[in-house]
Amino acid sequence: MTQLYETLVLLDNDVVRKDWKQAKAVVKDTITKYDGDLKSCRRWDERRLASPIKRKNRATYFIAYHGMDTDRIPGFLRDLELNERVLRHMMVKVDDLPEKELELAAEEDGVDFVVAAPPEDDAIEIPEEDENDENDNSDVPDAPPEATADAPAPKADDKA
Amino acid sequence: MKSRVRTTIATKNCDDPEIAYKNTEYLEKFLTPQGQILSRRRTGFCTQCQKQLKTAIKRARHVGLLPFVG
Repeated sequence: MTQLYETLVLLDNDVVRKDWKQAKAVVKDTITKYDGDLKSCRRWDERRLASPIKRKNRATYFIAYHGMDTDRIPGFLRDLELNERVLRHMMVKVDDLPEKELELAAEEDGVDFVVAAPPEDDAIEIPEEDENDENDNSDVPDAPPEATADAPAPKADDKA
Repeated sequence: MKSRVRTTIATKNCDDPEIAYKNTEYLEKFLTPQGQILSRRRTGFCTQCQKQLKTAIKRARHVGLLPFVG
């Protein structure tokens, strides 16, 4: 009997906006690639992140329940780590599949299921740098005036 | 000398099914306004439940469900 795992994957909302099925396939394909016994995979939620992750304020959460051989897990986690569409992931052991999980997953796989488009405010706005600031040297103090011929030269034997 | 009465937040016993990282509304009760985890003295949990709470909050923080600070 293999251990059952719960994997939570945070996907970039841009992927969800482009194609919902492709977004779901990111999670499903990664699990099946590593011979995972996929029980269910569904969209859990779309919400604002408590703190920005990879310069994103919002993300779509996918939750998957699957079994997997122990020796395949490091590769699986590395694959998720390297995937640019995955903002973050977490894999935990669970004892058994939660109630209604299969029903919810089946409901989502239905033809009638429509995913609401995520809000647009998921990317962090980076303030544009003012171009004038780069060439503005007004704050730099002027160079000290060069000694002129009229100015008295410092005497070397003042201290002597 | 008057003893200071502290109210506990937890109302359930051990093996509380609500202690899970996805149940953020419940977990938020055990955080200070600064985002720190409350002590066992304040939560009223036993050792095992407090440990479950700590793990759940840290998991929720990792996946962006709960804040690290504030």
